[in-house]
Amino acid sequence: MSFIRRHTSLLLLGLVALLLASTLTFLYLKSSRDQTASYTQSRDLIRQLQQLNAQWDSEVLKARIAITHNYDPLVTPLAEMTRLWADLNNRGTYHSLQDLARWQASHAAYQVAIQEKARLVDQFKSHNAVLRNSLAFLPTAEDDIQAEFNRIDGEGRLQLQGVASDTYDLLLSSLEFAQVTSDERAADILVGLGKLAINKERLPSDFQAPVEILSNHISLILREQPVVNTLLERIAAVPVAERLDDLTIHLDQDQQAADLSDDQYHRYLLIFSTLLVVVLVYLTVRLLRSFAEINRVNRALQAANETLEQRVERRTQQLKDAQSELLDSARQAGMAEIATNVLHNVGNVLNSVNISADIVTRKLRSSKALGLGKAMQLINEHRGDLGAFLTEHEKGKLLPDYLNQLVEAIAVEQQGMTDELAQLSKSVDHIKDIVSTQQSYAGASTLLEPVHISALMEDALRMNAGALSRHNVTVVKEYGQVPEIMADKHRLLLIMVNLISNAKYAMSNLSDRARQITLAVKQLEDNTVQISVKDDGEGIPAENMTRIFTHGFTTRKEGHGFGLHSCALAAVEMHGQLSAHSDGPGLGAVFTLTIPMTPAGSPL
Amino acid sequence: MSEVSIYGFGLALIVGFALPAMAAPLDEALKPLPAVPVLDAAKVELGRRLFNEPRLSVNNTLSCASCHRLETGGADDKPFSLGFDGKPVEINTPSVFNASLNFKQFWNGRVDTLEAQIEQVVISPVEMGSDWKTVVHNLTDLPLYQRAFSQAYPDGVTAANVQNALASYERTLLTPNSRFDQYLLGNTDILTTQEKYGYQRFKEYGCIACHQGINIGGNMFQKFGVMGDYFKARGNPIEADLGRYLLTQDEDDRHVFKVPSLRNVAVTAPYFHDASANTLAEAVDVMFKYQLGRNPSQEDKDLIIQFLKTLTGEWAGKPL
Repeated sequence: MSFIRRHTSLLLLGLVALLLASTLTFLYLKSSRDQTASYTQSRDLIRQLQQLNAQWDSEVLKARIAITHNYDPLVTPLAEMTRLWADLNNRGTYHSLQDLARWQASHAAYQVAIQEKARLVDQFKSHNAVLRNSLAFLPTAEDDIQAEFNRIDGEGRLQLQGVASDTYDLLLSSLEFAQVTSDERAADILVGLGKLAINKERLPSDFQAPVEILSNHISLILREQPVVNTLLERIAAVPVAERLDDLTIHLDQDQQAADLSDDQYHRYLLIFSTLLVVVLVYLTVRLLRSFAEINRVNRALQAANETLEQRVERRTQQLKDAQSELLDSARQAGMAEIATNVLHNVGNVLNSVNISADIVTRKLRSSKALGLGKAMQLINEHRGDLGAFLTEHEKGKLLPDYLNQLVEAIAVEQQGMTDELAQLSKSVDHIKDIVSTQQSYAGASTLLEPVHISALMEDALRMNAGALSRHNVTVVKEYGQVPEIMADKHRLLLIMVNLISNAKYAMSNLSDRARQITLAVKQLEDNTVQISVKDDGEGIPAENMTRIFTHGFTTRKEGHGFGLHSCALAAVEMHGQLSAHSDGPGLGAVFTLTIPMTPAGSPL
Repeated sequence: MSEVSIYGFGLALIVGFALPAMAAPLDEALKPLPAVPVLDAAKVELGRRLFNEPRLSVNNTLSCASCHRLETGGADDKPFSLGFDGKPVEINTPSVFNASLNFKQFWNGRVDTLEAQIEQVVISPVEMGSDWKTVVHNLTDLPLYQRAFSQAYPDGVTAANVQNALASYERTLLTPNSRFDQYLLGNTDILTTQEKYGYQRFKEYGCIACHQGINIGGNMFQKFGVMGDYFKARGNPIEADLGRYLLTQDEDDRHVFKVPSLRNVAVTAPYFHDASANTLAEAVDVMFKYQLGRNPSQEDKDLIIQFLKTLTGEWAGKPL
C-alpha cells in the first residue's frame, strides 16, 4: 500500500518536473524571439528616413536660395525614402493586435505626410525654377534697358530719366520683395508695374520690348514669390519628421513592452527553473534515500541469504548424515536380509544333510552286516568239523544260503548308503555354493563383467529358494535368447533378489489360488534387455504407483522402504530403468527392469 | 604605403591611357550619364525579347519596339504613334532611352516606375489594348518563354515578372558617351567653341532652370506656358493638353507636364506632347516664348541648337 503511494507520488513529481521543463522551454522560446534586433533595425531604418528627410529639407532650402540649379537632389531623397519605407514594411515587427492598429495608423499618417510633402516639393520645384530664373534675369533685363537708354542721346535721355529711375526702383523693389515678401511691397511693385506700363507707351517702339519682358518677369516674381514662400512654409509644416518620430516612439514603446514581457518571461523562467531545481533536488534526495534503502535491504537480504545458506548447508549435512546412516542401516539391513536368506538356505540344506546322515546312521545301525558276524560265530564254533557242519548240521546246511542272501543284502545296503552319501556330499556342496555366492556378492563391486542374465536369475532364485519353497511359490521361467552381456552383476542380483522377494511377499496373503511368479528375460529391439518379475499378488493401488520407488515407502510392517528405492537407484546407476505396472489392487503387479544391452566382448 | 602608390600610379596610368584629354569632372547643374547598371542577365535578355514581343498587344500587332524604335532615338518619327487598331494615340511617344532616369513616367508623370508604365501601356485601349491575364496566358503557351521565365524568376510567368523583365531591360537602355557627357567628365576639348557658347546661352537664358540633372530634364513638373498661354495660341485643345490635371483635378496642375529629358533631343523630333514642333528651332522658339519669356537673338538660338546636338549619345556602340 505504502509502496503504491510512494510510487504515485514519485510519478506525480516526475510529471511536475516534466511540466516545469516544458513550461521553461515555452518561456525560453517566447523570450528568445529576436525582437530587440528587429526593433533596432526598424529604428535604424526610420533614422535613415529621418536623415533623408532632413537632407531633402536642406536641398529644398538650397534650391530656394539658388545655390544649385540641379533638382536631382530633390528627387533622390524621396526615391531612397520610398525604398527604405518598403524595406521597413517588409520587416516583420512584433505588434500585439490592438497595437497593430495603432502602428498601421501611424504608418498611414506617415504615408499621407510623405505624399503631401512630395506633392508640395514637386510644386515647389516648378515654381521655384521659374521664380529663380526670373530673379536671375532681372539684372540682365536692367542692363538691357540701361543699354537702350545709353543709345538714346542727351535730350531724350533726360526726358526718360524718370522712366529709367522708376524701372530701377521697380527692379530693386522686386529684388527686395524676393527677400522680404510683404503685401506692402507687393502693392509697391504693382504700382511700379502700372507706372512702367504707362511709361512704356512713351518709349520708342524698340525700347518697349525689353521693358515688357522685364515687366512680365516682375509680374512673374510678384506671382510666384508668395507661392514659393507658401510652398516652403507648407513643406516645413508637413509633419514627416513628426510622423517618423511617432513611429520611433511607437517602436520604443513596443520594445519597452517587449522588454517588459521579456523581463516577465525571464522572471517566470527564473521562478520556474527554481521550482524545477527544487523538484529535481527533492527527487534526487528521494532517489538517494531509496537507493540507500535498497542497499540496506539488499545487504539484509544478503545476510539472510547467507544465514539461510548456512542453515541449508547444515540441514543438508544433517540429511546427508541421516541418509548415510540410513544407507548404512539399509545396507546392514540388506546384508542381514541376505544373511537371513543365506542362513535359511543353509538351514534347509543342513536339514537334508541331517536327514541323509540320519538315514546313513539308521542304515548302518540296521545293517545286514551284523548277520555276517553271527554266521562267522557259527563257523568259528564248528571250525573242526566245518565241512560236516556245513553239510550235516541243520544250521550249517542253511549257512551258505544265508551268506548268499547276506551278500546281496549288503550290496543293496551299500548301494543305498553310497547314494545317501552322494546326496549328503551334494548338500554340503550346496551349502558351500550358497556361502560362496553370498561371499561373491558381499563386496560392493561396481565392475562390469560378462553376465548370463538367466544364470544370474537362477542365482537369485537360489538365494530365495528356501522362502519360495516354504511359501509354495511356483516359479515360471520365460527366458528368451539373451546373449552374455556386460553388466554390474552385484547390482543386477540385488535388484533381482529384491524383486523376487517383493513378489513373494506380495503373494503371502494369497490363499484362494496358487502362488506363481513369472520371471521373464528378453531382448528388445532397441538394444536393451528387459527383465520382468510378475506376480499375481495383492497388486499396487494407483495412488501408490507414483511413490513406490521413493525412499522410505513401504507397505510392510517390518519393511524399511529401502528395497525398491535402492533398486531404482541401482537401475539408474546402470543406465537403466525400473518401472512398475499394476492393473489395480488384487490384480498382481509387474516390475520391469530395462538395461542397455552391451554384449560381452564388445568394447566398453 | 608602396602598395598604395603603385595602385595610384596604375590608376593614373589606366586613366591616362583611356581618357587622354580628361581633367577633373566639371561641377555643373547638368550631370553626366550614370553607368549602365549591372542587372540579372537572364532578366535583361528576357526583357529584350519581351520588348520585341507583339503578343503583348491584343491582336499581336504591336510590340514595345513598334513605337520605341531603338534605331530612331527610342521613339518613332511620327507625331502620334499608331495603336493596335491602327489609330493614332493622343500624345507623342517619348523616347525609351534613359527613361529610367526620369523621376516619373509618362508626359504627365502619372506613374512612378517603369513597371507601372508598362502595366498601363499594355492595357491602354488605344495602345496595346490587351489585358494582363491574356498576356500571361499567351506567354505561358510558349515553351520558349516558359523556360526563360522559370530561369529568371522562381514563380515563372506572371504579370509582375513580365513588367519587371521589361523594366530591367529598359534600365539598361542608356545612351552613354555623348559629346557633352565627355565634356562634363572633363574632356573640355571635345566641344567646339560654338557649342560651348551654346551651353553658355543655355544656362544664361534659363533653360537650365528646368533642364538639368543627370537626364537634363525629367526631374520636375512644369507648366507649359509659364510666360504666355501656349494652348490658346496653338488652338485645338485636346484632353492630353490638360497634363497633370487629368490626375489631380487640381487647377494648378492644368497644362503641367513632366519636363522632358533633352538627351538625344536632336534625333527625337517631333517635339512636345502634342508633337507641335517638327524641328529643334521651332521647339526652341516655343520654349523661349512661352517658358522663358525672353527674346533671344537668332545667333543665340543657333548656338543653343548646336549645344543641344552635343547631347546625342550612343546605343550599341554607335551614335544615335
